[in-house]
Amino acid sequence: MSSRRTTGGRIGLIISSILVVIFVMAPIYWMLATSLKTTAGVAAAPPQWFPIPISVENYVTAFTQYDFGQYILNSLIVAIASTVLVLAFGTFAGYALGRLPMRGRFTIMVLLLIISVFPAIALIAPLYLLMRNLGWLNSYQALIVPYTALNLPFAIWILRNYFIGVPKEMEETARIDGAGPFRTVWQVVLPMTLPGLFTAGIFAFTACWTEFLMALSFNSADAFRTIPVGIALFGNAHITPYGTIFAASAVAVVPIAILVLIFRRSVVSGLTSGAVKG
Amino acid sequence: MTSTHVAAPARSGGPHLGERRKKDVYRRTMARLGWGFSAPALLVIAAVTIFPIMFSVVMSFSNVNVLGSGFQIDGFTLDNYSIVLTNSTWQYALVFTIGYTVITVIVEIILGTLIALVLERLVGGRGWMMAMLLIPWSLITVISATLWDYIYDPIAGVATQILSVLGFGHPVILGSPASAIIAMMIADIWKTTPFVAIIVLAGLVMLPRDVYEAAEIDGANGWKTFWRVTVPLLRPTIALAVLFRVLQAFGVFDLPFVLTQGGPQNATTSLAILGYRAMFTDLKFGPGAAVATTTALLVVLGCLLFLRVFRSQVSETEM
Repeated sequence: MSSRRTTGGRIGLIISSILVVIFVMAPIYWMLATSLKTTAGVAAAPPQWFPIPISVENYVTAFTQYDFGQYILNSLIVAIASTVLVLAFGTFAGYALGRLPMRGRFTIMVLLLIISVFPAIALIAPLYLLMRNLGWLNSYQALIVPYTALNLPFAIWILRNYFIGVPKEMEETARIDGAGPFRTVWQVVLPMTLPGLFTAGIFAFTACWTEFLMALSFNSADAFRTIPVGIALFGNAHITPYGTIFAASAVAVVPIAILVLIFRRSVVSGLTSGAVKG
Repeated sequence: MTSTHVAAPARSGGPHLGERRKKDVYRRTMARLGWGFSAPALLVIAAVTIFPIMFSVVMSFSNVNVLGSGFQIDGFTLDNYSIVLTNSTWQYALVFTIGYTVITVIVEIILGTLIALVLERLVGGRGWMMAMLLIPWSLITVISATLWDYIYDPIAGVATQILSVLGFGHPVILGSPASAIIAMMIADIWKTTPFVAIIVLAGLVMLPRDVYEAAEIDGANGWKTFWRVTVPLLRPTIALAVLFRVLQAFGVFDLPFVLTQGGPQNATTSLAILGYRAMFTDLKFGPGAAVATTTALLVVLGCLLFLRVFRSQVSETEM
């Protein structure tokens, strides 16, 4: 604490902050720099520290030679649809489990907590067989349904905690004014818990955007690949086209980076509310 | 949590029988409404998790015959478990997964706490630093794994270059078991340490100021204050970070799948990689289900053990 006031302490603080920035950002710089190199530059040994000459050929290749536009579209469809469903179902369930006098609420919340940490590998084979029997392999719903279910427990926990914080008088007033239960949740309670919705939403979106095991197992056909699967299956067994992959990756980072920057506060409050899936 | 919410408290007069019955009816209606509200969510969750878990358990105790068009479950057996438990690859994967989890989580907690302490002292720019810490967290693991694969590349890799400048010759980092394991741990530590730092930082910011003032008045120096005041107060926050990191690390799949494919010589084969390979590469659904079930059982046992040890601290922050 006292180090804050001395010059030595201040210099130490600046140096350690710079070390933190280098630790986090050096690999990110390397990804971006590589994406802007020529094919020869990517393979150069010793490596080029700066992308000179700068080239956008990797970006062109990612979208022309590979179907990267399609992968981004698939990821967006799956992640947005799942997030909307998670928020819709999660709002009502979170409200009920936080506010309505149901028996066994505690048991349900504990079960949800256990489910939210369950390893995906334990679910993958039976789900695969289920999807195959339903004829859902290589379809959007093959990912939307499991993503919705697997992200709901965390969303319910987050939203429930916010609903508990809404003063009960608000609902009373709405009820006396003649609003039905749906309208009470929709028009009175929900607007007061918007930060909770943002938090739950961005966590669901990020989890869907980055999920790999199920996307790989259920949707490996080119037309339905999401970004992680598309990137993992880029190139062939002998050549990994790093430049193209990093160009595609840089583009894939954009939506999530925008969301994270806008909803920074929500993300941090979600991370710190305890229940975290990453 | 188990307390019930009665709608309008009856203030006028005594507890009339009619009024109480009306309240009961209202409560029952609200409870029914609660189940109605939760039903869609609970049904979707049950369909995607509880049914497959039960199916996995059944499959792990059955003879599963893979046919051309599908597969057939044919009678009870313990063979799957005896195949798995006596298999040296599974035994190695179990040891590797536990060791990997313990080492990476310890390093991440120490490094993450150090980063959080630095950021806590920053006066300006803390918001931007936090935004920066979110970048590795939000990065698709497949992307970060490919990035580290390139960094470790035997020809164009930066890490290879740095090691050769330092006099290590020209190592093939991902080519030998020991260095591949270390390389994989570094990639994991880079991606998840910032996440630990954010959790610890939020815990630090919320610590009561007056405790520090008291410590300062008592003449405690910075080091003493850290160990005697900060660490004990942070324990619930760190406990939660440990819990979630352990569970995540125990199921590690994406990183070895892309970076090392579980190699060299199965050195980085985690339980999840092993289960996936058994089911989707070798089509051995019975043993694969046994791997999945034992992994899940270990996770649940670990979770329960953790909740027992840290019950008071978790309930403080969570329930």
